[in-house]
Amino acid sequence: MASESVIEINGLSKSYGSGKKQTLALNALDLTVNRGEIFGYLGPNGAGKTTTIRLLLDLIRPSAGSARIFGLDIRADSVEIHRRIGFLPGELTLWENRTGSQIIHYVASVRGDAKGIAKHADELAERLDLDTSKRVRDLSSGNKRKLGLVAAMMHAPELLILDEPTGGLDPLVQQTFHAMMDEYRDKGKTVFLSSHVLSEVQAICDRVGILRGGELKAVESVEKITNVEFHWVDVTFRDAIPIGLQQQLEGLPSISDVSTNGRRIRLRMLGDFDPLLRVISSGYVEMVHVEEPSLEEIFLAYYSGDKEN
Amino acid sequence: MTGIVVGNTLRTSWKQILYWGLGLGVLGLYIDFIASSPDIIAGYADLFKAMPPALLQAFGASDVALFTTTEGWIVSIFVSEAGIFLSVFAVLAGLNITANDEQSGLMDVILSLPISRAAYLLERWIGYALVGLGIVLLCALITVAGIIGMNVDAPHDVILKSILNLYPAALLVMTVTCLLATALRRRAMAIGFAAAFVVVSYLFNVIGASASGAIADFMESVSYFSYIHGEAFVLGIYNPTDSFILIAAILVGFALSLRMFVSRDIGI
Repeated sequence: MASESVIEINGLSKSYGSGKKQTLALNALDLTVNRGEIFGYLGPNGAGKTTTIRLLLDLIRPSAGSARIFGLDIRADSVEIHRRIGFLPGELTLWENRTGSQIIHYVASVRGDAKGIAKHADELAERLDLDTSKRVRDLSSGNKRKLGLVAAMMHAPELLILDEPTGGLDPLVQQTFHAMMDEYRDKGKTVFLSSHVLSEVQAICDRVGILRGGELKAVESVEKITNVEFHWVDVTFRDAIPIGLQQQLEGLPSISDVSTNGRRIRLRMLGDFDPLLRVISSGYVEMVHVEEPSLEEIFLAYYSGDKEN
Repeated sequence: MTGIVVGNTLRTSWKQILYWGLGLGVLGLYIDFIASSPDIIAGYADLFKAMPPALLQAFGASDVALFTTTEGWIVSIFVSEAGIFLSVFAVLAGLNITANDEQSGLMDVILSLPISRAAYLLERWIGYALVGLGIVLLCALITVAGIIGMNVDAPHDVILKSILNLYPAALLVMTVTCLLATALRRRAMAIGFAAAFVVVSYLFNVIGASASGAIADFMESVSYFSYIHGEAFVLGIYNPTDSFILIAAILVGFALSLRMFVSRDIGI
């Protein structure tokens, strides 16, 4: 049985400006997001992620193409669509002089069920450890983000659209957020989540769309993206780097870009850690630091042949 | 339309009623205080008699005889000065309808809620129209209370009507600013053009009323200040047509704002 699509985007384009100053922010985007999935919309800054989201929310109008959410047209039926979605913008602005509770009550009132929604909002706030009695101007950026999440999720929407949702959240709250997303999926709800943080997308998403320069380059399962993943590894030895170690490492098929700096050796590693660990154990290893690749690096690796490696 | 946005606008802006209303009320009390002394009024009347028409118009009166009566003096001075202050409020309120929230990014949150752009704009406009009404009412009541408290010999109803007559003009400035903000998208540009609208209107009124000829008549006719007729209530010659013209201009301005706001990108 075919999956029921929640978001259907057909040839959606958006350009800003006119004449020579015209900039194409999104180019003929075709994309489908199915019910019950967490879809990661991945791309570097300026790739067109926020433009896509603002088009879906009818905040900006497409230059070409169309999109439907729940089978409804994003322009003609925007009010009905908004009733059924929750949205957290990337750069969240709220009423500075109002308390979290007042904002929750106001948003719930506009949604039409202040009492019922507010009760759920209290539960979410407690879970995210958010004090809603404080004015927004007195909240840290992380707590503002929590309030934005509560406002987006408190009516248990069928579709959540989240633009860079965990920016500013501490690791513990990020874990809670990930758990909440899993619960969302278990309830058959859909999440469209934009991010430039690969680890976040890996942690919670089912499928990933990779956007670059306003064009959708790939839509893959998270597992497939993970397969092209490599790491940057820094190994610091207590004493000098063992003689011949650099040559040994360069001989390993999964290792490249080896460079040294004093007692430290830096390399790019693809796949399992075991071959690397066997080689470096010839010296006394003081510290190993592993960095995940940047999205741009993953992207380049994915499209420059490392996928086959 | 549910009225929720109107309610929220009033909850977040009620202090403006207090501050602006009290501020203009103090101006009214000051004018009441001066008006309580017939000698001062007589002194001012002599001073105004020596003034050229343009300068007299700048003080809010086309007829020097107005300044010889207490109510004429109160109305002319208060309406001309409060008219300018209310215009400043109206520009700020017009910016608050959409421009400030759009600039800050708050509009993205608001318009992701189940409310249409048209309904939102209308409710915001009504909200700030009520704030403006609150300000005009509060300052009018304080001014009249001053007249009573200081035993100033001036008819209360004339003073009250003259001050309330400021309201349509304030609404027009607010609507024009809202239109500029929705059309130009840039807050700074909207402020500049709205300020120019107020200043040019004021100058056109002063020049148009003090000169004669087709150009002067035209200048006066396009200035919203020329449709504020505080003195007409004193002289008993108030013609509601001028207020209807302002209301018609407000409706046209709001319809254009609505068209702009509904059809364009938000926050770019």
